Amino acid sequence: MSLALRLLLKDIRSGDVLTLLIALIISVGTVTSIGLFIDRLQLSFEQQSANLLAADRVINSDDEIPKHWQIKASGLSLKHAERISFQTMLFAKERLQLSQLSAVTDSYPLKGAYLVDDTLFGEGKPLSQSPQKGQVWLSSRLANLLKVSIGDSVDVGEATLTVAKYLVRDPGSSSSAFTLSPRAVMNRSDLASTQVIIPGSRVRYAFLIAGDQNAIEDYEAWLLPQLNEGQRWRTPTQKGERIGDTIAKAESFLLLAGTLAVILSGIAMALASARFVKRHLMQVAVLKTLGATPKVLTKVFIIQFTMLFILGVAIGLAIGWGIQGVISSLLSGLMTTSLPEPSLSRLWLGIATGFISMIAFCLPLMQRLIKISPMTVLQPSLKIEQNTVMTYGIGFIGLFGLMSLYTKGVLLPSIMMLTILGIGVLVSLLGWLVFRLGRALTSGATSGWQIGFASLYRRLLPNLFQLLVFTLIIMLGLILLGVKSSLVADWQQQLPADAPNHYLFNVQATQIDDIDRATAQLEVPRSNWYPMVRGRVISANGLSIEMLYPEEKGEPELYSRELNLTWSDSLGKGSTLVSGDFPANGLSIEKRVAQEAALSLGDKLSLNIGGNIVSLPITSIRTVDWGSMQPNFYLILPKEVLQDYPANFVCSLFISDANAQPFYNAMSQFATVSIFNVGDLIKQIQSIIGQLSQAIQLVLLCILAAGALVLLASVRSTLEERLEEGALLRVLGAKKALVQQALFVEFGALGLFSGFFAAAGAEACLYGLQIFIFKSEAHWHPLLWSLGPLLGVCIISAVGLFASRMVVKVPPMHLLRDL
Amino acid sequence: MAVKTAIKVTNVTHTVTANTGDLTILKDINIDIKEGESVAIVGASGSGKSTLLGLLAGLDINTSGEICLYEHAFSSLDEEQRALMRGQYVGFIFQSFHLLPSLQAIENVMLPAELKGDKNARKKAEILLEKVGLSHRLSHYPNQLSGGEQQRVAIARAFASSPKILFADEPTGNLDQGNGKIIIEQLFELNNSEGTTLVMVTHDNELARKCDRQLVMSAGQLMEKG
Repeated sequence: MSLALRLLLKDIRSGDVLTLLIALIISVGTVTSIGLFIDRLQLSFEQQSANLLAADRVINSDDEIPKHWQIKASGLSLKHAERISFQTMLFAKERLQLSQLSAVTDSYPLKGAYLVDDTLFGEGKPLSQSPQKGQVWLSSRLANLLKVSIGDSVDVGEATLTVAKYLVRDPGSSSSAFTLSPRAVMNRSDLASTQVIIPGSRVRYAFLIAGDQNAIEDYEAWLLPQLNEGQRWRTPTQKGERIGDTIAKAESFLLLAGTLAVILSGIAMALASARFVKRHLMQVAVLKTLGATPKVLTKVFIIQFTMLFILGVAIGLAIGWGIQGVISSLLSGLMTTSLPEPSLSRLWLGIATGFISMIAFCLPLMQRLIKISPMTVLQPSLKIEQNTVMTYGIGFIGLFGLMSLYTKGVLLPSIMMLTILGIGVLVSLLGWLVFRLGRALTSGATSGWQIGFASLYRRLLPNLFQLLVFTLIIMLGLILLGVKSSLVADWQQQLPADAPNHYLFNVQATQIDDIDRATAQLEVPRSNWYPMVRGRVISANGLSIEMLYPEEKGEPELYSRELNLTWSDSLGKGSTLVSGDFPANGLSIEKRVAQEAALSLGDKLSLNIGGNIVSLPITSIRTVDWGSMQPNFYLILPKEVLQDYPANFVCSLFISDANAQPFYNAMSQFATVSIFNVGDLIKQIQSIIGQLSQAIQLVLLCILAAGALVLLASVRSTLEERLEEGALLRVLGAKKALVQQALFVEFGALGLFSGFFAAAGAEACLYGLQIFIFKSEAHWHPLLWSLGPLLGVCIISAVGLFASRMVVKVPPMHLLRDL
Repeated sequence: MAVKTAIKVTNVTHTVTANTGDLTILKDINIDIKEGESVAIVGASGSGKSTLLGLLAGLDINTSGEICLYEHAFSSLDEEQRALMRGQYVGFIFQSFHLLPSLQAIENVMLPAELKGDKNARKKAEILLEKVGLSHRLSHYPNQLSGGEQQRVAIARAFASSPKILFADEPTGNLDQGNGKIIIEQLFELNNSEGTTLVMVTHDNELARKCDRQLVMSAGQLMEKG
């Protein structure tokens, strides 16, 4: 034991074990820091999404919430609340206004907070409680329409309530945001006295729960089978939620970043263990001649590796914890909310990384070392028995296992491993060809070019291996850069700062000019006006519409409700023509709706519009970006068909904060027009996207820094041979400049080719990631093809020349003696 | 009293597989080396001297024939048992010294005794280093010592486990004449005082002449000189 420890400590001092220890620390540290940071971000996303829901889970229902739901939730120690939403008239003095009223229990909201203000059209301050009994909170617009202020009375049915606050945002409003009337909120206990809910009233009930994840899962398992058609279970990141998709993509990115960190750490461990074997072969052979038995050596290595594991993992975890803390505090200035504390349970990932890395990379090398013949001491040229396929095979399996553990799936690891394998084959074949060709074209030894290419070819195998390592590191960086750029660009495009944040509905044709004048005065940007006529699809190609959905899955748009139909000469922002012609004398249909009903160009749809049956062929199919906040429609009909029906108009506008009050004042003269404000929702989405963008950029930086460290380790691993060769050249009379030029050619060529191969690998991998992981359209990344080789040449020659600066600085005699 | 046989080699042949086919390096070797005897193996480069030395020390296994160390036949032992034999009976001195670079001089000398579990390893190492004139270099690392000093540390290390047989492979091969002389003197001095059997491969005729017997290796065959 003491001998093993003493040898280990001495080895650490001499630097041989230190490289392995550092690689292990990098592995554990990178995976831990990214794992913990991702955990914190995920928790933060979940919290923010929960804030949008005002709870962890919400059950929407057309019927009153059964008492036993509450009893069960209480039994599982879940917090719960109720929200009852309906439209009703509010009366104040002489005025009345249709409004969207919510009655909430005292415990509402369970997550997040109301944003309320004491000033009309104020920005709002968070408040995590509901209105007290006898109070009502009105949105500024509603208060403006009713001409009431704080302290005034408002009648809701038979009850009289006092205005206590101006409501800026209801934390659960995003889910039911598309209500057209101005909002108000009151306490649930006042509801009975209003007597506004009578049998047949259109009321939406929401039951909200929050608490321990396991309890929620138990509750879900208990409740789901009981839900009827009018009841729906909603989660924060459920598909269809506006923010869910963005978060899912960010999570995929962070998971990818973590996976790349795992690969980087694998490369670092492989390099370090190869160096460890090389430096310890003779030592083990000498120990064998001195009487060390294989059993003793096995014991020595097991003790050493166990100590390394404990030391590496402990330091790695500490560094990982520190780094995620630094990243989080760097981000805290940029984020609007503070990140929740990371869970300690995530540390197992770092420990597992350390353990699997040791098993996958150190055990095979220990076996190689123990098998070395003591005869090597007398005959150093003896070949070391090694099973390269097995060594790399175990490393490969270990890496795959780590990634699978990390991503909890095999799709992402499979894409990455296939790319690495492909790159391995490509690098081996093309690298061999290029080095050979380079040597053939530059025979002789009088210039740096010739010496450089000769070196590349002479150390063919180590150089090919190094080429592969460089390629992989640069490729990982490029992949991450490519994904990050696409994601951030997608998000920014999705919701630009001046994205429309208000919709005007129920506008009559005669009001359009007046509204245009009012908004033009305020310089408010506006979309086109779209007419809306209500209609219902009744048949397709002569078949009843019900027949198109035999499985009755979900709620098909065409089948389940009356649609808003419009006419237009242009597709408008956010719409793209997929097939057919537009405009044409037929129907234009949205792509997903067409797919749901298996409709294609030429199919004939019959619609019931105002009691008349209209039949038209589908002449175009288009995609619609629903996140663009522009008015969008499933069906666009020719003007001639719709123009004789009574229509009202819709448009979207961007109202800046400064314009809010003048705009609402101007609109108060159009009492019949419904204004729908989605600004708060957009702000929330923009804030989350902003945080995500910042977060992934930081993670990208971290990974690139780790990549640079591994790159340096890789250059160091073959440095000795290069130094020896450089020293020999100098002994033979070569000038410093020639040696430098030769080193530059060697490293530069390695950098150039690895950059090029990396770009090819990154492009292939990005294709797979875009199609399978991010589920977006694949596109070409021309930037990578110039960035890869450029980065390769610059970084690798700089690192290489810096690392080999000794060869031109130190007298060759010293160098040869030290090697 | 009859002198014991330390090493007995009977009809040993050794063949290795090379690119061009099987290559016989040692042909039908027979030697008897008595306890306390010093034997030099001389011969041209590539004649098989080092291979024979390795086989005698049990570093490798011969293709046919038998090698016995104190009546223990190597062919009947596995790698584990051969290593134990080496620890018990054998000491080594190499041409390239082969000190562990991460250990100090004293730690290098202690190593064989430590592997045997000797509790007095340090004390013994100090005495041995004093005998080779390096008591002032105990805590120096190999790269802080000259070639001659490194080989003296290696000699001290070789005697640290109190071996019965000492194998030396070109012990002065990497040293200048002056240092070579000192090494030879110290080696023979320790050999005499410890009563060790010495088997040495060398190109150095002067060194060879100091031994009790000289064996000449030529084209894989061994002959007694003189």
